[in-house]
Amino acid sequence: MTLIDEPPSAEVDLEEVRPARPRTVLPADRPQGPKVGPRQVGGVAREDLLALGGALVSSVSLTALLFGTFAAFSGRLGFTIVWFGLFIAIYAALVALDNDTPAVVDRVMTAVLSAATLLALVALASVIIYVLYGARGVLTNVNFYTEDMRATGPGDPLSSGGIRHAIIGTLIIISVALLLTVPLGIACAVYLYESRSRFAELVRTVVTAMTALPSIVAGLFIFATWVLILGYPRGGFAGSLAISLMILPIIIRSADVVLRLVPGSLREASAALGAPTWRTVWHVVLPTARSGLSTAVILGVARGIGETAPVLLTSGFTQTTNVNLFENAMLSLPLQTFEFSRSPDPLFQERGFATAAVLMVLVLALFALARFLGGRPAGVLSKRQIKAATRKSAADEERMAARSRGRSGS
Amino acid sequence: MTGLAVLAIMGGVGLFLAVRAYEALNDRGFAFFTTQNWDTNSGEFGVAAVLAFTIAIAFVAVAIAVPVSLAASLFITEVAPPKVRGTLIALVDLMAAVPSVVYGLWGRELLQGHLIPLSRWINTFLGWMPWFDVSGADPNDPFVNLSRYSASTFIAGVVVAMMVIPLQASVMREVFSQVPSGEREGAFALGATRWGQIRAVTLPFGQGGIIGGTMLGLGRALGETIAVVMIISPRFDFTWHVLEVGSNSISALIALRFIEAPDFELSGLFAAGLTLFVITLAVNFGASILVGRSRSGASSEA
Amino acid sequence: MISFARRWAAVALLALVTATMTAPQVASQESYQRIQGEGSSWAGTAIANMAANVNQFGITVDYTSSGSTTGRRNYIRGITDFAASDIPFQFEPEDGSDPEVPPGQYAYIPVTAGGTSFLYNLKINGQPVTNLRLSGENVALIFTGEITKWNDERLAADNPGLSLPARDVIPVVRSDGSGSSAQFTAWMIDRHPQIWLDYCEKVGRAPACGETSFYPISGSMVGQAGDDGVASYVGQSFGEGAIGYANYSFATNNALPVAKVLNAAGFYTEPTPENVAVSLLQARIVDNPDDLTVHLTQDLSGVYTDTDPRAYQLSSYSYFILPIEEQGQFTAEKGRTLAAFANFAMCEAQQNSASLGYSPIPLNLVTASLLQIEQIPGAEVEEIDLSKCNNPTFSSDGDAERNLLAENAPFPQECDRQANYQCGDGTAGLRAVSTIVNNPEQPPSSSGGDGSGGSAGGGSTGGGSSGGSTGGGSTGGGSTDGGTTDGSGTAGDGGGDGTGTDTGDSSGDGSDDDVVIIVGGSTGGSGGDGGQVPTDVGGAVEDNPQTPVAESDLPVGPIVSTVLPQQGSGLLLTGVVIVLLLAVVVVPAYAWRAFSEESGSP
Repeated sequence: MTLIDEPPSAEVDLEEVRPARPRTVLPADRPQGPKVGPRQVGGVAREDLLALGGALVSSVSLTALLFGTFAAFSGRLGFTIVWFGLFIAIYAALVALDNDTPAVVDRVMTAVLSAATLLALVALASVIIYVLYGARGVLTNVNFYTEDMRATGPGDPLSSGGIRHAIIGTLIIISVALLLTVPLGIACAVYLYESRSRFAELVRTVVTAMTALPSIVAGLFIFATWVLILGYPRGGFAGSLAISLMILPIIIRSADVVLRLVPGSLREASAALGAPTWRTVWHVVLPTARSGLSTAVILGVARGIGETAPVLLTSGFTQTTNVNLFENAMLSLPLQTFEFSRSPDPLFQERGFATAAVLMVLVLALFALARFLGGRPAGVLSKRQIKAATRKSAADEERMAARSRGRSGS
Repeated sequence: MTGLAVLAIMGGVGLFLAVRAYEALNDRGFAFFTTQNWDTNSGEFGVAAVLAFTIAIAFVAVAIAVPVSLAASLFITEVAPPKVRGTLIALVDLMAAVPSVVYGLWGRELLQGHLIPLSRWINTFLGWMPWFDVSGADPNDPFVNLSRYSASTFIAGVVVAMMVIPLQASVMREVFSQVPSGEREGAFALGATRWGQIRAVTLPFGQGGIIGGTMLGLGRALGETIAVVMIISPRFDFTWHVLEVGSNSISALIALRFIEAPDFELSGLFAAGLTLFVITLAVNFGASILVGRSRSGASSEA
Repeated sequence: MISFARRWAAVALLALVTATMTAPQVASQESYQRIQGEGSSWAGTAIANMAANVNQFGITVDYTSSGSTTGRRNYIRGITDFAASDIPFQFEPEDGSDPEVPPGQYAYIPVTAGGTSFLYNLKINGQPVTNLRLSGENVALIFTGEITKWNDERLAADNPGLSLPARDVIPVVRSDGSGSSAQFTAWMIDRHPQIWLDYCEKVGRAPACGETSFYPISGSMVGQAGDDGVASYVGQSFGEGAIGYANYSFATNNALPVAKVLNAAGFYTEPTPENVAVSLLQARIVDNPDDLTVHLTQDLSGVYTDTDPRAYQLSSYSYFILPIEEQGQFTAEKGRTLAAFANFAMCEAQQNSASLGYSPIPLNLVTASLLQIEQIPGAEVEEIDLSKCNNPTFSSDGDAERNLLAENAPFPQECDRQANYQCGDGTAGLRAVSTIVNNPEQPPSSSGGDGSGGSAGGGSTGGGSSGGSTGGGSTGGGSTDGGTTDGSGTAGDGGGDGTGTDTGDSSGDGSDDDVVIIVGGSTGGSGGDGGQVPTDVGGAVEDNPQTPVAESDLPVGPIVSTVLPQQGSGLLLTGVVIVLLLAVVVVPAYAWRAFSEESGSP
């Protein structure tokens, strides 16, 4: 009878603290199999690498050969597609040498997933490079951010004029639009989530249909109601309204999708503790879905902030800086981009690309903010939050202790 | 309450469209939905072809975007190492941050030149399928008139797909990341490969998100304006040839025409917008039935 | 949720505060009231530029280029203070819309002029054609789908010096509603009504088909949004064979040539700002207060048939629509601003027209306009004075009647005359690139040898007559600086040298492949003329620009046969390679696996 010695494990510190106790005992006449080394359970196996490399090399060379014949006119994209098809086929064949079918499917699908992601990223990189290449020479000029275009015409050098007015206009317009839509949108999504009535179903369907509303129609609607019927002047606020109308359905619909993911058990637990519905929503549902809600807001912003036509109709075009929401035209970055890009002047076109780049950076900054505010999944706390929670629970303990002291005292 | 408010706003838009569209619809009657022409001067106008093209562009876009965004969101949640996950999410966000004017410019100036050879290649080898045919162009002719492959439904669809991908990928990723880890680990414990786990656990769980994301993407694809405007060459006789020059969409029609449209034509444009609205409504009724049956949202404890 | 909303509120507030902080301190003593205009996108660039330039006087003008019709509509509604439009108010709309009835007294004045320019992308033997000539009728035939191939006889009649290729003609038109289309179709209905009406009937627009902002697209036409869309399409590689219409500046900035169009004097002219301005000297403003539909509108029939040799017949202008009485929100205060702005637009602002691709408004139209501007309520009449008007087309130094434009605008070269063989000089964006002309009357060596600078440029792009065009200020405007026939000998100066060599190098290097492929098709056509400058092939000309390569040197036959893909043998080869590759990559691996399995099992 031998005790099997276990090597001391670094992870389980607690084990060592405890007093030793009897452990499992194995029979001595255990059959001795072939000595098996430690199995490698993670990492990349050599066979995998070889298969990948082999498939890459052979598919590239095969495509190069094929290409001369089948695809003489199809350019680089055609080459890539043919190559990828061949690569998958050869890779599957190579992996099949060493593995069974589920593993082959797994490898192939992993390759396909990675390739699709890569495809999207390459396309994105192409767009970004296209914009930055077009904007080279403008972005480093400080005046591009600190001046407006009021005194700059075609032919003027890049050292004159900038897009301050459009940056400010976009920030104001989108902020106001968010102020209007985020509370309303999330409230509506919560309603859709809580109510299972037919009416809610109707609202959901209508809202989804509204996501396809052509942006111009949103602009024309606001123009017809706000400006023509109600008689308010065109300006930043009308633009905000038009943008709000466009992003509201998107926020509602995507918030609806993520709210549905909140585990029903959480809600039920809250209800079982006696919380009313609004308390459940406030303290359980919304915090749980926080990161999803920020995604919803991001998608809305992404749709709304890049629109030109509704803003053109409702807030007009100007070349001067305007911070008054309710008077005079207010310009937004996408509209400025659009106007720049239509100009025959190459310098204006460069400014157009630079404006687009600024817009993208601005939107990204907004996204980062949204992710920062809502990104942490429920239950995961930041250091400060942990400290606060600790303090609070210490205070609670103190309080309870005081109370029990008081009770025992009396 | 808020539901009512939102419905009122949305209903207001619908009503606005209906009121403004009345004049044209009243004039054309049912012919508005069967006419393949747009000439308000002679009274011969209808959305038949435009609507079909709209759906064709959206179909191409969604057909490209759904696999890509599904794969990308699965890659981010299931395959990518946790370290790069944040970066990938940010990159997908960045994709959503690109304004559509830029996608339009990019599509027109850069992508189109690369896609035309691809169109021609597809036409060469798959041209026997009717929708890959291109009239007026023989792909084997070295001096073929390449403009026959430009400004097509296909090219517009690819560019719109670029805008739809981040939308769909974000929603799908958000849903996939909510898959209960108990189920995921259970699948692994039973010996499933990663793909086996994805098929058995993630995809069924995320079904609602996939459909919801797809519908959102479809909405965007149907309603996308400026990028489509910059790429297509409008035509009013519908063709199944997605690679052939010329396409159209309702939003593009409105965008191209409203600035110079007299009142009567404007009414016709609103009627077109109303048609699009009704069509998406119908599509969504269908989809809402599917989503209602999906699993996500039900109790996710095993 | 509270924190969520509060944070967003905070963010928004922060943005607002930042915005306010960075905002400039708007001058409080701004003496002019801010005014708003809306309308024509065709004239949008010019008006935006005017608004930018007038800002130095404290005048702020917000101009939204959302389209002529929108502009007129919103003017009628009283939302804007003035409008810009390509066509006048529609008192009798053809489509059953409500008639447009402006609220009060108004005036039309021309705001900016331009010629409809035809940009094209055409290559002969891989070299761009830069000197295409078109008669008005051929323009109409091209844009109605009647002429479908570039080697059409009717085009050859315009271009005796070019052997145009057998490519499809791709007319590129505007897909959006635009003033360019309106001006083009107005010209068509006036000059070639039968061609245009036949086309309208063909595309199903028969009953009411006159001037239209929406060009009907049919057949092999391609529609593109915006002038930038048209220019971009024409300039791309797949746009070879395309011809589109756009503002002149899109040709110059996109390195595209424009077609010279035959005028009533029998000259082919380019739509340079000078030529357009000269043409508009014949524009008449209709003065007929009894008929409001035409009162104060433009009558361009004199422009279309102008017999000045410099005239470009597709010239026209857009209007400002200005209120000349107080109405609604339009007060005398605003009128003061508007009058000052309009005065500035007529005079000083016209200095920039040419650089924007528009052309300045000439004397006759400015005179008529200033009379209208004086009627705007609140106008400071003493400021509005022809003698103070710094318009580039006439002298502002006291002698206001002196028409500088008519004196200074360059006349076309002799080779632009209809009867003569065409000039080789490039146009617009490809002014520096000249095209070889098959001219039996003029041996190539004479002009090539004269201007040494020019022939260096012509080394790859053509020997002919480029001496003048590269030597003279190429962007200066007139294409006639240093005319070929008389001035080529002296034009080979330093500037010409530099430009010429650059062009020669790059185009020679880049186009080797193209040249070889295409030569096979077209040498047959052009081979007849013994004395022509032969098509240049690759580096041969580059090395020795002075000596034209003899036709017999062209290695045409063998190269063509090697470049064209060989389907049959390639397929076989590919099959063999696939089998081999499979054999090399896959089979050994399978064999190894089978072997190891056998030995591995006990």
